Amino acid sequence: MPFLLLVSVFLIAACGLIYELIAGTLASYLLGDSVFQFSTIIGSYLFAMGVGSFLSKYIDRALVARFIYLELMVGLVGGFSSSLLFLAFAYTEAFHLVLYLLVILVGILVGLEIPLLMRILKERFEFRDLVAHVLTFDYLGALGASLLFPILLVPKLGLARSALLFGIINAGVALWSTFLFADQLRRRVNLQIACALVLAALLGGVGLADRISDAADNNLYADEVIFTRNTRYQRIVLTRWKDDVRLFLNSHLQFSSRDEYRYHEALVHPGLAAVPGARHVLVLGGGDGLAVREILKYPSIESVTLVDLDSEMTRLFSTQPFLKRLNHGSLTDSRVHVINADAFPWLDTNAKMFDFVVVDFPDPTNYSLGKLYTTGFYRLLARHVSRNGWLVVQSTSPMFARQSYWCIVETLKRVGLRTYPYHVYVPSFGEWGFVLAGTNSYEPPAALPGGLRFLSASNVAELFHFPNDMTAVAAEANRLNDQVLVRYYERDWRAIAH
Amino acid sequence: MNRRLFLSAGLIGLSSKADRRIEGGFVFEDQKTGHLLRDRKKTLPRPAREVRVPVVIVGGGIAGLSAAWELDRRGFRDFVLLEMNPRAGGNSRWGENTISRYPWAAHYLPVPDHGATLVRELCQELGLLKDGAWDERHLCFSPQERLFQYGQWYEGLEPTGAPGAHEQYRRFEEAMSGFRVSGEFTIPMERGGKPSELDRISMAEWLRRNRFDAPGLAWYVNYACRDDYGATAAETSAWAGIHYFASRAPDDKGPLTWPEGNGWILERLLAKLGRYVRTNALVYRIRKDGPRMRVTTPEAEYSAEVVIYAAPTFTAPYVMENAPRVDDFEYSPWLTANLVLDRWPSERGFEPAWDNVILRSPGLGYVVANHQSLATRSDAWVWTYYTSFAEGAPAQNRRWLIEHDWTYWRNAVLDDLARAHPDIRQCVRRVDIFRIGHAMIRPKVGFIWSQQRQAVAGGKGNLVFANSDLSGLSIFEEAQYRGVTAARRALRRISRG
Repeated sequence: MPFLLLVSVFLIAACGLIYELIAGTLASYLLGDSVFQFSTIIGSYLFAMGVGSFLSKYIDRALVARFIYLELMVGLVGGFSSSLLFLAFAYTEAFHLVLYLLVILVGILVGLEIPLLMRILKERFEFRDLVAHVLTFDYLGALGASLLFPILLVPKLGLARSALLFGIINAGVALWSTFLFADQLRRRVNLQIACALVLAALLGGVGLADRISDAADNNLYADEVIFTRNTRYQRIVLTRWKDDVRLFLNSHLQFSSRDEYRYHEALVHPGLAAVPGARHVLVLGGGDGLAVREILKYPSIESVTLVDLDSEMTRLFSTQPFLKRLNHGSLTDSRVHVINADAFPWLDTNAKMFDFVVVDFPDPTNYSLGKLYTTGFYRLLARHVSRNGWLVVQSTSPMFARQSYWCIVETLKRVGLRTYPYHVYVPSFGEWGFVLAGTNSYEPPAALPGGLRFLSASNVAELFHFPNDMTAVAAEANRLNDQVLVRYYERDWRAIAH
Repeated sequence: MNRRLFLSAGLIGLSSKADRRIEGGFVFEDQKTGHLLRDRKKTLPRPAREVRVPVVIVGGGIAGLSAAWELDRRGFRDFVLLEMNPRAGGNSRWGENTISRYPWAAHYLPVPDHGATLVRELCQELGLLKDGAWDERHLCFSPQERLFQYGQWYEGLEPTGAPGAHEQYRRFEEAMSGFRVSGEFTIPMERGGKPSELDRISMAEWLRRNRFDAPGLAWYVNYACRDDYGATAAETSAWAGIHYFASRAPDDKGPLTWPEGNGWILERLLAKLGRYVRTNALVYRIRKDGPRMRVTTPEAEYSAEVVIYAAPTFTAPYVMENAPRVDDFEYSPWLTANLVLDRWPSERGFEPAWDNVILRSPGLGYVVANHQSLATRSDAWVWTYYTSFAEGAPAQNRRWLIEHDWTYWRNAVLDDLARAHPDIRQCVRRVDIFRIGHAMIRPKVGFIWSQQRQAVAGGKGNLVFANSDLSGLSIFEEAQYRGVTAARRALRRISRG
């Protein structure tokens, strides 16, 4: 019997530490600056535990029943803490408030546990043994939790499920206690029903929230998923591994924070630097604001119009601190106008002219997206480009999807544009292709804006050379009524997959 | 996407099975006006007004409007077009809601080849054809067609089948190419067509004689007959069946289509010709009056030199004395339904196309009205569902169509769609239904080259027939050809004085 009681101590100690670790990890994932996050969270948590310990003296009756209810509360609050924090980050602006409130609440509850348990056990042990044993198992539990957390829990279960699992352990301890302390309890059945309800809620949490999002994502993505949101149009997932944050839209990698500068510098500067005094720029797609960040490096820019379908996406990249750091707050710049609309109909009902247009759509994986790569679309787009302007199209990989790439080139040619295909190596993507198109003859720019990490005036021209394994292959133009591109794309990528 | 589908399927499993409330009703109900002619002619009011006008066109479908188009572009403006319904358009009528415009019947125009000169002239006038190139925005967007078979969707309409079937498809296509180059199967049909033995056998018989017995091919040809003629291959004249496959050599991938179907063309014709159109003008009597013709509607009586009768030919005996014999003219009843969906049903296989057909279903499938949209995303859709009553006697089918209420037909539509989309009832919030008793002429065996059809079509005098049924083929091109031809005859008659 005494040993079994001490096992409870071990378990609740482990739970207490896990909730603290989860809060710290989540905060550093989502907000960055892990030293600051961990320090402040551990500090607040320990302080709250002290508050809990102090408050324990006001509990003077029915200690066992109170302890059981306490365990259930810890189980509920701690168990759902991770899910709550994810939701708070995704749907509210008050993530910090929720974070610290939760940390303090869990801390107070956890702080109540050990003093209460010691008082319950004081009849069964010598005071000397009581302190020694309880604290020994308390620290053992902490050791177990701190080893389990990085080795097993985060990689295998993910944060949301880990928290729920430990909530279940808390509730399990509560249920178990109704048997251990049967002799000291009246109305045991009520307590057991409460335990069953809490367990059911936590299990439901595991079954639903978890299986739907995190489990699948953690299987799907190599790195820890730090953020997910289902918008009307897509599933946005951010993952993080050390300092590498990656954005996935519907499971397709959009960028890696380690090398996105290569992609976005190559997307914008070869074209925009070739339009002296460009004033008005249009970006289609590119709701992450990273292309806009590059565009704003030109002092002549008066307006950037960004048309992206997904308002959640542009809102996320205009408000979240980490993502804002990545795009230099480009989407909140006063010159930038964010329009959430479907690009093709928007262009069709608009007469504005632009000196430079960036077309950064998802790859043509289906016939809906394929419409944005057709002669019909480019014919319309060309009417919005000023006489000396250029448009640039992200055009998938000339290496992995060679025929798709050259199909896009052919499609742009078909509407009477002169095309200048180029490519760049982006480690997280591989070789990636772009097509500059306009009505003039293109000369690589003599000067680029300062502060670029990849491009310089001396290496722009190199981008336009294609090695033998990426040179032009025959392809039909992609038309609204005959979307060959979707078929090329499917065939190209299938060939890679096998 | 897959996970979301899985999730939604899971949630459906959890939610109660009770069907959601689906609204809707019947639309147009033309038969209520049309049957006045058949049943209660005497109670129609006598007109108080008399109008003298050289030409009266009766019927505001594509045939009547094409007659008007021809008169107008020849500079002849002294005519009226009488339409019994509140809106002209016939089978090209369309509707609109907050999601999309949608067709009520005819929903596409095959890309006309160089032989279909009149259609190409119209297309040029409407800006569809510029400098010999088609505007791709008006051509059906990819993917055009898909077929539901073996529990999932496949691209294209031809059923996959046994290894031997492929050989038969190839041979069938070869045979059709042969007919195509023969120059006999043309649009308009009168240009190259001539009396043929093929009109004396059915399409099914022709398949048998030529050893086409693959079940997939048989289904496909029968589907084509039901879709284009509202008749089974066993009843359709082989000449008409072959005409469908052999009459076109388009110079681009089509067809031409719009969210509102042929309503797009209709609206442009009406924009130009609307001033000649008198709606709610039911013509209930046409008779000779010396050298002139008197055309009576409840509102006015017209005295004309020539009447172009573009309404369905079978109505002639209800309206005119000494009408020609038209008892060979048989028409197929149709039902079309427009469904509003606020969730795309769960499904497997190839992605949604413009035309979506379910193998071995009694219906003809559905067309997604907002497929022809420039947008990449949508969260609500309009489906136009079609079915022709090909099996059995048309008159009996018409009674069946009229006798049952909206709930009955709504369930029939949803049950059919549930073959491919089991959760369709959880996705649909509205079903409006159009019952068309005489939707299209039925080119049954012997009709195309019958004496009767040729006699009415070649009619002389100051009453000229113009409906597409004169060709035995209910298609836009024939309606336009008959309308234009009738207008030319009317002009010749008038110029002779």
